[in-house]
Amino acid sequence: MMTLQQLRTDIAAMIETTPEHIGDSDNLMDLGLDSLRAMNLAMQWGEAGIPLDFTDIAEAPTLADLWARLTDRQAE
Amino acid sequence: MTVTPTNPLTAAQSGLWYAQRLDPDNPIFNTGQYLDIKGPLDVAAFTRAADQASAEAEALALRFAETADGPVQWIDKEFAPRLQLVDLAAERDGEVRALAAIRAAMATPTNPLRDPLARQTLYRLSATRHIWAQQVHHLAIDGYAMVLLTSRVAELYRLGRDGNAGGGRPLAPLGDLWAADASYLASADHAADGRWWREKMSGTDDIVGMAAGRAHSAHGFHRFEASVPEDTRTALLRLAKVAGCGWPDVLTALVGAYAARFTGTGDIVIGVPHMGRMGGHMGRAAARVVAMVMNVLPVAIAPDEQADISAFVAQVASHIGAARQHGDYRSEQLRRDLGLIGGNRRLYGPLVNVQPYDRPPVFVGLDVALHVTGTGPVEDISFTFRGDCLNSLSIEVDANPDLYTQAAVTAHGERLAAFLAAASHAKRLSEVPTATPAEAEAEIIGFNRTAHAVPETTLAALIEQQMARTPDAPALRFGDTTLSYAALDRRSAALAATLRARGAGPGQLVAVALPRSLDLVVALVAIMRSGAAYLPLDPAYPAARIDTILGQAQPVAVLASADPHGLYGACLLAPPQWPAEGAAPAPAVAAMPPPAAPDDPAYVIFTSGSTGAPKGVVICHQAIVNRLLWMADQYGIIARDRILQKTPATFDVSVWEFFLPLITGALLVVAPPDAHRDPAAIAALIRTQGITTLHFVPSMLAAFLEAPQAAGLRLSRVFVSGEALGADLRDRFHQLLHAELHNLYGPTEAAVDVSYWPAGPDDRSQPVPIGFPVWNTGLYILDAQLRPVPPGVVGNLYLGGVQLARGYLGRPDLTAERFIASPFAEGERLYLTGDLASRRADGAVVFLGRADHQVKLRGLRIELGEIEAVIAGSGLVRQQVVLAVHERLVAYVVPDTGYDEAGLRRALAAQLPDYMVPAAIVGLPALPVTANGKLDRKALPAPHFASHGGATPATASEQRLARLFAEVLNRDGAVSASDDFFALGGDSLAAVRLMLRINAEWGHDPGLAALFEHPDVAGLAACIDAGTDEPRDLGLAPVIPLTRKPQAAGEDGLAPLFLIHPAGGIAWGYRTLARLLQPRPVYGVQAPALDLAAPAPESIAALAADYARRIVATAGNRPVHLGGWSVGGLIAQAVAVELQAHGHAVGLVALLDSYPADCWRAEPEPTEAQALRALLAIAGEDPESHPELESRAQVVGYLRAGQSALGNLPPAVLDGVVRVVFANNKLVRGHLHQRFDGPLTHIRAGLDHKGRPRLVASAWAPYAASLDCLEVPFLHPQLTGAAASARIAPLLAARMAAFENRLARKAA
Repeated sequence: MMTLQQLRTDIAAMIETTPEHIGDSDNLMDLGLDSLRAMNLAMQWGEAGIPLDFTDIAEAPTLADLWARLTDRQAE
Repeated sequence: MTVTPTNPLTAAQSGLWYAQRLDPDNPIFNTGQYLDIKGPLDVAAFTRAADQASAEAEALALRFAETADGPVQWIDKEFAPRLQLVDLAAERDGEVRALAAIRAAMATPTNPLRDPLARQTLYRLSATRHIWAQQVHHLAIDGYAMVLLTSRVAELYRLGRDGNAGGGRPLAPLGDLWAADASYLASADHAADGRWWREKMSGTDDIVGMAAGRAHSAHGFHRFEASVPEDTRTALLRLAKVAGCGWPDVLTALVGAYAARFTGTGDIVIGVPHMGRMGGHMGRAAARVVAMVMNVLPVAIAPDEQADISAFVAQVASHIGAARQHGDYRSEQLRRDLGLIGGNRRLYGPLVNVQPYDRPPVFVGLDVALHVTGTGPVEDISFTFRGDCLNSLSIEVDANPDLYTQAAVTAHGERLAAFLAAASHAKRLSEVPTATPAEAEAEIIGFNRTAHAVPETTLAALIEQQMARTPDAPALRFGDTTLSYAALDRRSAALAATLRARGAGPGQLVAVALPRSLDLVVALVAIMRSGAAYLPLDPAYPAARIDTILGQAQPVAVLASADPHGLYGACLLAPPQWPAEGAAPAPAVAAMPPPAAPDDPAYVIFTSGSTGAPKGVVICHQAIVNRLLWMADQYGIIARDRILQKTPATFDVSVWEFFLPLITGALLVVAPPDAHRDPAAIAALIRTQGITTLHFVPSMLAAFLEAPQAAGLRLSRVFVSGEALGADLRDRFHQLLHAELHNLYGPTEAAVDVSYWPAGPDDRSQPVPIGFPVWNTGLYILDAQLRPVPPGVVGNLYLGGVQLARGYLGRPDLTAERFIASPFAEGERLYLTGDLASRRADGAVVFLGRADHQVKLRGLRIELGEIEAVIAGSGLVRQQVVLAVHERLVAYVVPDTGYDEAGLRRALAAQLPDYMVPAAIVGLPALPVTANGKLDRKALPAPHFASHGGATPATASEQRLARLFAEVLNRDGAVSASDDFFALGGDSLAAVRLMLRINAEWGHDPGLAALFEHPDVAGLAACIDAGTDEPRDLGLAPVIPLTRKPQAAGEDGLAPLFLIHPAGGIAWGYRTLARLLQPRPVYGVQAPALDLAAPAPESIAALAADYARRIVATAGNRPVHLGGWSVGGLIAQAVAVELQAHGHAVGLVALLDSYPADCWRAEPEPTEAQALRALLAIAGEDPESHPELESRAQVVGYLRAGQSALGNLPPAVLDGVVRVVFANNKLVRGHLHQRFDGPLTHIRAGLDHKGRPRLVASAWAPYAASLDCLEVPFLHPQLTGAAASARIAPLLAARMAAFENRLARKAA
């Protein structure tokens, strides 16, 4: 089961920063998560069975929004 | 969100729309893929899923129409592609059939005005094997959208099998995207993005690809596929970590570095596809919508090969990251912004497309493989990577077959794979070779297998052997005098003895400064026989140069007829002092030095040196012997040959002219001094002396072929060398002469020539290669690290082998610079030519220019640095640079105190041969430099060669504008401030080009109307400077002035003349006629429908009423004259009727070869093609010479591809012209003429209309009070040209004046 902290850590690794730098409502694109990095992240998650894809990141590019989508789906 | 019934195309679609309409038969806009599905597919569930996804993906159901406001689109649910089932299970070759059907569908062009954009088919091969093919026109989809769509089908299939049909996350509607697109276009971000890109790309040189040619997508592409091995993938991921960027950016950077090695400049602009699915204005709306969103971002790659590779990668990644921030701005728009339209101008070269998301979708319980069948147009070459890099990564190289052969594409694929493997492990790019090991071996060994046995001897010995073989044969001829080999033997032996007495011998030099003559040849042979090397001097050189050379060379004697500068002193040995034939040698034989050895110098020729002083190239006997024996053998030179000697002895081409006949027993025919510059004299020599063999520098050959005396000459062979031989010159040669043509190449430093190419009549090479190495010679094309480059790649040309010079006389430093130790063979040397070259697949070498500042003008080798050194040495200037501009030398100088141009000219003439003295000297306050401190050549003003009078352009704008005038009109001479654009030969279409150039330079232009009003440099420059904020005027207004500063109508008693446009709607063509009618004010009336926003006219009568209103608005209540050519005359008559009905006085009504509508109703309606041919005529092309152009798209495409000004018009305007052409054709047939109560003046094109009896002036009789019938001897299309206008203008002027006289008498 994915946790909020794990989500934060994965994103931080992808944009070469530390998890503390990512605020819940920061726009991840402003922090350097461009489309190819997002794609990589989505694929990484896809392989781990985490139900978030690229369009989720594109449509909801904050940690809080992504976490909301993830918790919805994990609840299903 | 409700979707509006119709919507304009998005910015992303527009470019594709235009390209497809331009090339309607091109199927390459079909994109597609198929999935090979293995396992028990639930066909019913799959069908439901595929149909459901297809219904959600609204773009698949798009339809299109063209309207006056441009193309529009709407969604038509009926067009949504439902899954077609094709059962091939019963067929033995089901798979083959399925794939053939897929290919056939992909190869069928889609007409977006008619056809559905998408289709999908499921081929059943067996219960456990299916192929699902999808095909969607690029207007509706991009690569990412295809993944979205396929994944959605997979999701629906899974849910459907679980009993949750229709669940999951549906695809997003198109309407949101359309709204986002419109909002972005209107936003400040769009403007800001545009500014960012324009700034980023400004100052970029012409952008090129990896292969020469026009990057215009063909109907198909060549493909190479491979997978990237694991160790490369791992290394790429590691490099990404080190560089701190994503692995896709690593790949992009490395592929960019690979591609940059193929441009010749070491840098390149690649296109990086941008998904546009995240961030920006569009991203959120686009995230889940099937649509064409993808953009291409131009990314400049200029690798520092010595830098740390991870630093290079990181820098490219950050560059790409910044570009993505502005990635919504369409590249098509940027191209227009930058004026990169038409011709070969482009925004980027190869595409580098990394698609980590492109993996087969997961269908539960099934094994699925993805095959991409098409991704859209391939303009140049695309490198596509699919996969996640961790588990798999594939390379696809797709390339335009017009630019790359399949072999070239395969080679790129294999080479790139090797490059990535090496680069991902390397510290620096410089460690990574471009060529594969096999290519490197071919370059070093395979192409250079030239070993050939040559006797170890000297040139002197070969000549002596020949003299002994054929003593009685004629050896040389000069005018009426012929010398036999025996006589040459005697005279040269005597002189050789005298020279030896003066100390001549091996290793010594004897200078020769004689004009072309028998004495000159005797002197050269004598020096050879003395054992010394000869040093040719041009007696016309300035004293300072001769002094420098003599100082370096220290000759033991100078054979010259006089000593004009007093420099030879006791060394002078003039022909009268030479011993008589057979005179006994004076000194004792024992004192004779031994004859020269093969490795002793044979001659020393001085060439221009970049350091400011000429340098002497020392060539030894074995080198020139190899060269001469190769030539004799290669071309079968025999005693019957007669070889013309016309090259000055100071140029090394003369070496074979002198000695090839003397070692083969042929006759050496010495041309009179200065004959080499006179084509007629050369032709006469060839005829009278029966010359079989001679040499030209290509530029001289061109001049020779222009001489009428040259035509039809018959020779055995002609050699050219010294500059690049143009393919057109080769072809012209074979049209005019009957002779073999051979292209030779070589620097003075390698015994005249080192390579050869037979440029025969069947040779279609373009460029003409310099060819293959001669005996015992190697040609090596190497990169900066001395590694061989693969075929097709530009590198530095190095030479190796026996013909290399010993070095530069007395300059070991310069010798060491250019003659280096060969990395390929122990103890051998390579000579760095400074020439750029590439290797063709067949091994022939192609010369591509200089790597340094050496230039060749008319075959003469010039180091610009030498001229610059002389200028610097004058002490008159602070800075200087010399360039060759249009085959002339121009010196740009920054004057120091005390500078005067005449003084500088004197200094130059005193030290340089006249061909090295700049033709123009331009003083500047400072030399312009680019941002990185290099000389900004583009910013240097054009030189003013000999002035043609008129004031010199004074202001900066005038100078820039004068330069543009010269550029647009291809003028070499100066343009003065008062020069008139049209008087200099500008026509209306050149005027359009001028406006485009002005717009490119200033960012705005004053419009064509301003040019017509102010055609002089000063006047137009003032308009440009004044009118920064005025809207751009393309000269397409309904009424434009055609004469300069028209007087207010009627002010001076001259009623204005209004000339109505012909079929194309544009009246610029009357410009010449209008000028001839000055000072009468003349206006052009143009079709308002040229503006696509204006409504289309309903009838000629409505058109005439509209024009009449506009004419009255311009002329006031003064009388007017009317005229028109072709359809224009027909409309003019209708306008005259209309004006008359309103009581407006009409004078002349001139119909230039116009015929009433009745004549046309009887004629068949013109085909679309015929109507379109009118466009070609408007563009100044001869429509009859292009029968192949049939469709609108072809004609428009042809115009765009060419340099015609019409083709350079903005697309909307060209569309306007097309629209008017079509509308006029229809309207004319529907028009019913009324009677004009006055005279019609009809001017018939007398040479035309044979066999068309209806087209006669009398057809107008029912529609006029009287007819005034005139005729001029021209064809219909020629009537507005200069010659016809000169005939017509006086006819019109007289009639208009007569009308005004009548009016005046009436008033009196």
